[in-house]
This record gives sequence, structure tokens and C-alpha cells, in this order.
Amino acid sequence: MPEETVIAVEGLHKSIRNGSRTVSILKGIDFSVPRGQFVAIMGSSGSGKSTLLGLLAGLDTPTSGNVHLNGTAISYLPEDRLAKVRGRTVGFVFQSYQLVPTLTALENVLLPYELNADDASFAVGLERAKQLLENVGLGDRMDHYPIQLSGGEQQRVALARAFILQPPIVLADEPTGNLDTANGSHVLELLLDLNRKEGTTLVLVTHDPVLAGYADRRIVLRDGLVVSDERSERAAELVR
Amino acid sequence: MASLSYRTALKIARQEMRASSGKFFFVVLSIAIGVGALTGVRGFSSSFRGALLDRARSIMAADLSARMFQQPTEKEEKGLKEIADEHIEITPVTELLSMASSAKTLDPLLVSLKAVDPKKYPFYGSVDLQPAGELKTMLRDDTVVVAEDLLVRLNLKVGDSLKIGDHIFRIVAVVTNEPDRLSGNFAAGPRVFITQDGLDASGLLAPGSHAGQRYLFRVPKPGNGAPISESDVAALKERLEKLLPEAQVIDYRETNPALTQGLDRATGLLSLMSLVALVLGAVGVAMAMRAHLEQRLDTIAIMKAMGAGSGEIIRIYVIQTLLLGLLGATLGIALGTAVQMAFPYFLGKLLDVPTAVHLQVRTILTGLGAGLLTTLLFTLPPLLDIRGVRPVLIFRRAMEESNDPFVTALFRKLSKNASQAGAVVLILAGLAAIATTLSDSAMVGEVFSLGLVVVLAVLLASCAALLAALRWLLQRTRLRLHSAVRHGLANLYRPGNPSAALLAAVGMGVMQITAVFLVQQAVVRELHISSAPNLPNVFLIDITSDEVAGVRTLLKGQPAVNADPEFLPVVSSRIIAIDGVPAGEAKLKNFPKRMLQTISLTSFDAPPEGTTVTQGEWWKAGETRAVVAIGTRTAERLGVHPGSKITFAAQDEQFTATVSALTKSDGQHTFSRAEFVLNPATLKDLPTVWYGGAHVDPNRVGEVQRALFKSYPTVTVINVAQALETVRSVVIQITYVIQFLAAFSVFAGVVILASAIAGTRYRRIREVVVLKTLGATRARIGAVFSVEFAVLGLVSGIVGVGFANVIARMLLSRMSVTYHFHWGWTLGALLATSAMTIFTGWAASFRVLGQKPLEVLREE
Repeated sequence: MPEETVIAVEGLHKSIRNGSRTVSILKGIDFSVPRGQFVAIMGSSGSGKSTLLGLLAGLDTPTSGNVHLNGTAISYLPEDRLAKVRGRTVGFVFQSYQLVPTLTALENVLLPYELNADDASFAVGLERAKQLLENVGLGDRMDHYPIQLSGGEQQRVALARAFILQPPIVLADEPTGNLDTANGSHVLELLLDLNRKEGTTLVLVTHDPVLAGYADRRIVLRDGLVVSDERSERAAELVR
Repeated sequence: MASLSYRTALKIARQEMRASSGKFFFVVLSIAIGVGALTGVRGFSSSFRGALLDRARSIMAADLSARMFQQPTEKEEKGLKEIADEHIEITPVTELLSMASSAKTLDPLLVSLKAVDPKKYPFYGSVDLQPAGELKTMLRDDTVVVAEDLLVRLNLKVGDSLKIGDHIFRIVAVVTNEPDRLSGNFAAGPRVFITQDGLDASGLLAPGSHAGQRYLFRVPKPGNGAPISESDVAALKERLEKLLPEAQVIDYRETNPALTQGLDRATGLLSLMSLVALVLGAVGVAMAMRAHLEQRLDTIAIMKAMGAGSGEIIRIYVIQTLLLGLLGATLGIALGTAVQMAFPYFLGKLLDVPTAVHLQVRTILTGLGAGLLTTLLFTLPPLLDIRGVRPVLIFRRAMEESNDPFVTALFRKLSKNASQAGAVVLILAGLAAIATTLSDSAMVGEVFSLGLVVVLAVLLASCAALLAALRWLLQRTRLRLHSAVRHGLANLYRPGNPSAALLAAVGMGVMQITAVFLVQQAVVRELHISSAPNLPNVFLIDITSDEVAGVRTLLKGQPAVNADPEFLPVVSSRIIAIDGVPAGEAKLKNFPKRMLQTISLTSFDAPPEGTTVTQGEWWKAGETRAVVAIGTRTAERLGVHPGSKITFAAQDEQFTATVSALTKSDGQHTFSRAEFVLNPATLKDLPTVWYGGAHVDPNRVGEVQRALFKSYPTVTVINVAQALETVRSVVIQITYVIQFLAAFSVFAGVVILASAIAGTRYRRIREVVVLKTLGATRARIGAVFSVEFAVLGLVSGIVGVGFANVIARMLLSRMSVTYHFHWGWTLGALLATSAMTIFTGWAASFRVLGQKPLEVLREE
């Protein structure tokens, strides 16, 4: 059975104007990701990896080229259509958590469900949100506001939020970048665990080789171009 | 470590401003709007008041007048000379009744002579003559100018001769307007102007003659073009009252109650508007600086992490704040000056008072001071707070999180920190000083400051109550509410939201705007009543009881008479004793004793139209005991109060009446001339003459005079139409200006509040982006914000409008203006507040909603 492609990137370019200068950040990127794969996007600072992740999520418009998520070309959709596609297709984990400060942990996790799941019952969503918070070890902190949680705890809430809709794709931008080693490992374990349990395609931006070592595939960017795209041996071994 | 020099601090502050000039522009603009509103309203209203007061002075032809019934003593002469040496101009006006006759027919006629020095008289206004000419050139020692009435009665014309005393004068013109007609005696007989030397030549001023003497005074204008200081006028009045204890000293504001009230109310309202502009400006500055500081936190944290001391950071930001304040205040003063210049242009057609706009240094300094002080007030305490905060805490938005409710947090911070308390107290004292200089009316200042403190307390209490109620509601309903509603409500009370500050700011603003509107409406309504176009402007004197009915019929039949004439019965009498003390020994306050000999009494069962009781009680209809109601000012001068006994003599009869009520009249009716009103039973059998009043088309008074003369030759007609037109035009112009300025205040207030709400948009960007990333559409985010803004608007509206009504009521009752509660206006203001918050919230968030998420996330 041929592998089902979940993400397809075609000739992606992104330039920004900086005063009178135009800076090319991405200079033509092509790759595709099959369902269930864990891809690490690596590169040094300024290589364009976060921009690429943003374009994969439809958080910005490319200068040219296109991104297909689950067969839908998303790059030039109007804002509200894009929001809908994003809500149903992508779960996002940010380096700086990005929880809504005025909502409790439970409400933060529930938010994507309330925004996107139009026909499902609220009770089902609530149950799932609670379950996910239990899974990340925050069963007793559901009614806490982000400000009342530590960085590691906030990132675990963000993980639960990313998985609430069982999205086919989860995008994570340096998810352990703001955490100490112990919390970082914990979050990573949870991320991989959820990835395995939910069967999600995971694209993770990092410049940490250890973190990238867990991935099935590593795409390395330099100066806006893919300089290496290889399946991880360790991952391949793990799969075997 | 070497400390940061001021030069470097200035450099850093300026570089930061240059780097994000867009955001700083917004802060500067907010300050500018606040200061601009203050400068514009303040500047124009002070120029306008100056012009208006000049016009009001024309009704007395002077700043002050002192009426005397005997020649000044030597000491008094010396005192008057000292006053004249201080560049205060003085001119005497002598008034007396005399017989005049046509040199041809020698028919005698009682005339009311007025001797003036035409080189000086009048100090303000002008004596209009027909044929046109100036009094100082036409009135010479051998000429007279006369009322048209005299020509009618003696069948003379301009150019003919008139014999007064033993001298013959040539009539050179007819007087069509005598500016101070309202402040002179309403004596019987037509007016004849004569020079002081002419009067001497006539030989009428024999010892014992009943001439009344008035001295008119003009205070010199300050050199800088500013209006004459009211305290100078008040000081001169006090000095004259001491110098001339027997004289009746009044200032130009007292000539006509409508004018006095109009000016007092205008002063009160304009003060209120200046104060409101100050507070709204402060609100604008405060909200702008809050939003500004929130954004500077990261930079501050970074600098602290790099080893910068708190003192150095504070130095940078105080310099930056001062630069912003200075820039905003300067721009605001320019804006305010432009507005001030534009007012007369917009009002040009309505105002015939020439409003010379002059830039007053005081107004500019007030604007600058208010701008800088409010900017500092709202920046310094949070900056001082930085000293105790570690960089990591700033990174975690410690400031944002502890600001709910804003003022509580401020007080908490203050209680911890003496230097902050000191800074705040100093700055508040500065602002209070500005508020005091702004308020020409101490009463308005007092009510306003009290209202401000109370409303702030109530706003915060209601804010706390609302947050508690929301918490309760959200806990009860938990997740049952629609998520957009839940999210919107949650935005109002959960940590990290400046809604409490915004709520207080909007509530305060709404209160002030609505209070201005309500007070303005009520004042304008009353001013319209007192400047109604059909009030009597022609008075008739010496109508006998037999003639009253006929005169009434005649007047009603005249096409030029356009309102029902009013008649007042008058009994001539004199006062014999006050509280048992014979009149000769009574201690009077600036009430010439001779005036006790000519007291006019009248009688009514109920207070006549336009008269209100200020103290005591009016008697019941049919009262048989002798009771009297007296005008408040006269009572003050006589030293009587309710319960005092006054013994009157009329004809040969004496009776003692008890003072029952003190009254105040609006000066707009014939009845207003009655200072002593008794119960009808007391005056029943005494000989009565009647005074009448009618409103006649000011251009057709002559025609009515002729008709009256034909049928009732003994009735004297006194034409005050021109003088009353002046009063009316002043009052009407007051209403135009206060309506216009109130509209401007409301507009500026709405702009400031809108910008305060808009200022919260930077805070929303991150939230919008996160929601969009999670799949929220713009409509959905808009719904969340709408719920938040609608609740905010409704709560601040209810508190603000509620308090506006309370404050309007207090202010109006102190201004003696009736307050009415209007459901329509109240609901309208409430809806307008909600609509304004939702609309500006939306407008401010619109661009944020369209932003690409990655642009914001990359800034992380």
C-alpha cells in the first residue's frame, strides 16, 4: 500500500522586505511527509526553520509555492477558511506555550474543541480534555490559570491542547526550548507518547541533535534551502 | 559600576522612541488630545467671558457705581482723589427731576434730568443718538439730547430750544439708546441729557435740591490684553463701601438679575467643562502611558538582566516620559490654540460679541503643567515599582498580573513604598492646584472634586462587585455558557487584564460627559426662559386706579405690543423704624438713609411671577395681619430677616409689618421692581398708583408712546427696550457658547475614551494570534471581544450616567436651576456608552484581527 501523504510542500519561497532590502528566507523548499511520520526540522539560527513551520501551519503566506495539508492547498486561502483548516488539521505547540491567560488549564485545552468541533457533543470534548490533562499529569491542576502554573506545566497544557482534536498533524516549534533538562525530557516523552498513541504526524523544529535523534526523519535547512533530508538510523532501528 | 549619565539616558530614551515611533506617536497623540481639549475649552471660555463681561459692563456704563444722596464729605473727596490717582477713572452722573418747558409755548413738563461729563460718560457701551453722532461732540454746555417722549409731549423737534431752570438749551438729538437706563432711577418724566456745567448754569442745584449723585468707576485694563480682573473690581467695591458708607455701591454684574444669573451659570458651567477636560485629558494620558509601559517591560527586564540599576532605568524612562509629555503637551497646546481660534469662526454668525482670542500664558502653562504632571503621575509609581522587581519576574509580566483592580494595586504598591507615596502625593497636589486655578467657581470645584472622589470609590466598588458577580456566575454556570460568552466575560475579571482600570476610566469619562450635558441642558433651558423675547421692555409710571383698565385696553390694541401688559399697584410710603429703632438711627449697610423716605409698597396674595422665596414663608391668601416680603439684597442692606418688624408710614397712616419672607426676582417682570410686597388687606385703603410693563417691538416704541400720550398724557413711558435687548443678547450668546463648548467637551471626551479603549489593542494581539492558530475565525474572536466590551460599556455606563445625574442635581441646585430626571437622555447615554465601547473596541481590534499570526509569533 503506497504511503499516504499528509503534508506536501512545493517550491516554497518566502521573502520579507526589510526597509529597502528584500531578504529571502526560504529559497525553494520541496518535500512531503507521509502519515504518522515524526520529522525533525533542523538548522542553525536564521536558517528559516521557524518560517517553514509557520508556513506549514498556514500562519503566514508564502511569496510563492504551496503547502498541501491532507490534500488541501492552504497557502492562499482566505484567513477564516485557513483558520478552519488549521483548527481541524493542525495542533500547534509553541516554544513559549502561548496559553490564553484568561482561561483555566481545562478551558485552554478545551478551546480548539469549542472552536472547531461543530457537531460533536460538548460532554465528549470535556471528557477528552480532562483525560488529556490526566495523561500529562495535570489532573489536579485543571482549574488553574496559566500564571499559576510552572513553565513545564504550561507546556504540558499546551501539549494536551494540541492533541484535543486528534489532529492528523502536530507542529511543534522548539517545544522544550524554554524548559530545563528534566522538564524538557518529560515534555518530550509526553509528546512522543501522544504521537504514538494518537497516530499523529509530528513535525518538530529544533536545533537540539539529541531531540532530533528521536525523529524518523531529519530535514536540515541552511540559508533557506534543504541541505540534507535523511531517515534517522536510530529511528529506523526503533521501527525495525 | 559607573552610573549612567543623563546624556546617555537621554540618548537611550530618544533611540527607543525613534525605533518604534508608531507606538510612541499614539501615546503623544493621546496626551495631545487631552491637553488640547483643556487648552481649547479653557482658552476660549476665558476669552469669551472677557468679551461678555465687557458687554455686561455697558448696562452700567461702568465697572462700578456708587449712588449717593448728598455731596461727598471732605474725607470722601480725598479718598476718591486717591482712587483716581491709581488710574481708576471716575465720572459723576447727577440725576434729578425738574420742570422743563418749550421756549415757545412755556408749557411745563416734569423731566428726568441726567447730567454727565460727555468726555468720559459712558465708560462702556454708547449713547445712541438720532441724528447719528457722538455724545461727546453733540452734548455741549448749551445743548441737550432728549428722549423722543419729550418731543411728543411738548410738540418740539430737534433744533428747537428747551428751557430748564433759568437757562435755555438747544435740542441737538434724540436719545435712542441709553446704555445704563436699567441702573438709573425709573423716575417719572422723559429723559434729558445735559452736561455737568450745563446743570450748574441752570441753577437747579440749589442747596437742598433732591439731586441723586452717582459716581461711575472704570478699572484700568491690564496691559497684556487680558480681561479686567474680577478681583480688582471686587477689591475696589470693598474699598468704596468702606469709603462711602452712605452710598449704594453696586458692580456691573448686579444691574440685572438675568444677567447676573446668566454670567454666574456660564462661569460655573465653563469651569466645569475646563475641569472635565482636565480629568478626561488625564484619563487619556493615563491609559496611553499604561499601555506604553506594559510594552516597555521586556526592554526594562533586558536592561536589568544586563546589569542596569533600577535608578538608571528609572532615569531613562522618566526622561522618556518627560519627553513624551512635553511633546504631547506642546502638540496639545497647538491643537488647543487652533481649536480656540476655530471657535469664533464656527460661532461667528451666532456671536456678535467680538471675541478677541489672545493666547494667555496662564492657559498655556496650565495645559503644559497638566500634561506633564498627569503623564508623570501615571508613569512614576509603576517605574518606582521596578526597583524591587527581579528581571525574571518582569519577564513573567509581574506588573500586568498585579494590576487588577488598577487603583487597589496602586494603593497596595503605595502602602509598601514611601517614595512612591511621596511622588503621588506631590503630583496630585500639583494637579489639584491646576484644578483650583481652572475653576473660577469655587462651588463647581468643590462639588466636582467631591464628586470625583466619590465616583472613583463607587466605580471601584461597583467594579469589584461586578467582578465578584462574574466570578460567581462563571462558577455556577462553569462550562454551560457558550464559550464565546464565557471567554468574553472571563476576559473581564481574570488575572492580567486591565479591564478594571479601563472600567474606572470609561465610567469616569461617561460621568463627566453626561454631567456636562445634563447641566448644560438645564442651564440653557432656564436661560431661554430668562431671555424670552416677550418680557416687558417698556415701563409705565403713574397710572391712576381709574386709568388702569383703559391703559390695559389701549396697550392690548397696539400692534407693536406683543405680550399681555403687566400692572403693579404701588403705595408710596417711607420707613419709620426697623425693629423698633427709628429710621434715623438705624444701622444700614450701603443703603442711603434718604432712600428710606421713598419706599414703594405693593401687594400680592402669592409670590408674583418671576419671584421666588429664598428664606421664610409667603403668607396664606386672605392674611389680615400686616406682613411683608422683601428682596434679599434690600433685606441685607436694611439688616432685617424673617421675623423682623418694619414700621411704614403711608399718607398719615403708620403700620408695623412683620417680615415673612425674603425673595429673589428674575428681573424680567414689572413685578420685579417691587422690593416690598405686603398682603393686600394691609394696603387696602391706601391711595394707590399703578406701574405697568409691556413688551413692545423695540423699533416701534415711539408709536406706542404717542398713542399713550394722546389718551393718557400724565402717564410716563420709560423705554428700556435697548438695554433689555443687550441683556437678552448677552444671555442668548451665553447659551450658544455653552452649548457649543459642551458639544466640544462631549466630542473630545468620546475621542479620549475611544483612544483609551483603542490603547488596549496591543495587549490583544497575542491573544488574537493564539486563537487564530487554534482555528478561531475573525467572527468568533470578534464575538468574544464584543461580549467583553458590551459588559464594560454597560457597567461603566450605568455607574457613570447614574453619577452624572447625582452630580448634575447637586450642581444645578447650587446654581438655583431646576433639575429634571430624563429617562430618555439617561437611556440614550447608556446605549451610547455601550455602542461607543463596542464600536471603538471593534475598530481598534480590526487591524489586529487581520494580522498574520507568524508576524506576531516571530516577535516572541
